Amino acid sequence: MQAVSDEQLIEWVARGDASCLGTLFERHHRALYQYCLQLTRHRATSEDLVQDTFMKILKKAGSFRGDGSFKAWLFHIARNEAFNHLRKAKRRKTSTATEDDMRDQLIDSRSAEQAAAGHQDMDIVRRALDSLPEAAREVIWLGRFEFDGYEDLGAALGCTAATARVRMHRAMKQLDKILIGISGDIRHA
Amino acid sequence: MHDETKGGVPFEADEAREAELWASLTDLPREEPGPGLRQGFYHALERAARPPWWHRLSEWLGFRNAAGWLTATACVLVGVASGYLLSAPGGDADRLLALEQNVATLNRSLILDRIENTSASKRLRGVIDAVDVVQADPVVARALLDVASGDRVFAVRSAAIDALAPELANPEVGEQLMAMLEASPSPLVQLALVDLVLRNGSNAQLEHLVELAREGRLHPELNEHVLGSAPDVHGEETI
Repeated sequence: MQAVSDEQLIEWVARGDASCLGTLFERHHRALYQYCLQLTRHRATSEDLVQDTFMKILKKAGSFRGDGSFKAWLFHIARNEAFNHLRKAKRRKTSTATEDDMRDQLIDSRSAEQAAAGHQDMDIVRRALDSLPEAAREVIWLGRFEFDGYEDLGAALGCTAATARVRMHRAMKQLDKILIGISGDIRHA
Repeated sequence: MHDETKGGVPFEADEAREAELWASLTDLPREEPGPGLRQGFYHALERAARPPWWHRLSEWLGFRNAAGWLTATACVLVGVASGYLLSAPGGDADRLLALEQNVATLNRSLILDRIENTSASKRLRGVIDAVDVVQADPVVARALLDVASGDRVFAVRSAAIDALAPELANPEVGEQLMAMLEASPSPLVQLALVDLVLRNGSNAQLEHLVELAREGRLHPELNEHVLGSAPDVHGEETI
């Protein structure tokens, strides 16, 4: 027996059964948190954004038209919330530097010995991904981990499937280029 | 061209290195959110879903709508009538019968009031209370049918369907439950009804159920579930 679909649950939320939102939260909050963390690189901010997104879903449940998947709609709302936050943070010039500390620690903790070790590859990929602009990073993250079709990916990103495909292609080229650069630096070090 | 479709969107890489990179991304560590996120969300959800204080107060008093006032009035009338009957001359048996009828009426009012409550837990309580009287009281049976078909909380609908099990043999109720089975858009409601019919249904109802499954008029996976149980159904018929 297949579980109740997300789309059915959000319909029940729209009819007034807020408890169904708990089921949707349990299904998606981890993925949403990881996506927000990719954009903000700040744990507490990402958790706030996840919570805000679900509260927004509670208010806007009735406006879900069902012409795409619920998940794509959810990620699109989270994306808007995250970019609004990033815009405000930039305006206040208090960018989420604190979590950049987290990234710095990650980079600093990489020693030459680790670089020599075989299991360093994932750290290098992580570092290359972190170096990408937000737009490229998000398309790779969502395309690799969250969606299995360009229709949904495009809906989450607020563009067409064809545009999402082109953005993915470009982002992967960028990532590959950065990765080659980082690998070269490590070899020289 | 390399096509890597293992998880994620289908990515067409221009070079083998890109395809390898795409594949290797799956090994990236994914950080788990802290426990505070879940806690914060459920607090926020509770705050958002909680009705305002005046609404809660009137609900607590039981006078939030006409049904609450009706129940309160019925309680007073039953009290007065009981007092009158107990003090009036006449046979004990008659008085006892009248008293029982009054208690039954009051019980029905309370059950109906609970079934119509805005709180899902109170509606569930009402459905559970209704189990004891559903066979004797067609009004309660009809109210349970309404809940089974229209309540917005699945747990309440499911409990109402289970509560109607003894009434499945009642032609009026059985017919409506079978119609609901066919019409319900919710696979969970259909599953609850299918299980009810498989457990307690008459031969005619079981045959109707199998027919619905054969014609693919149930949720796709339920069709299989019913048809998988069909040999048992026929087995029972031949016995």
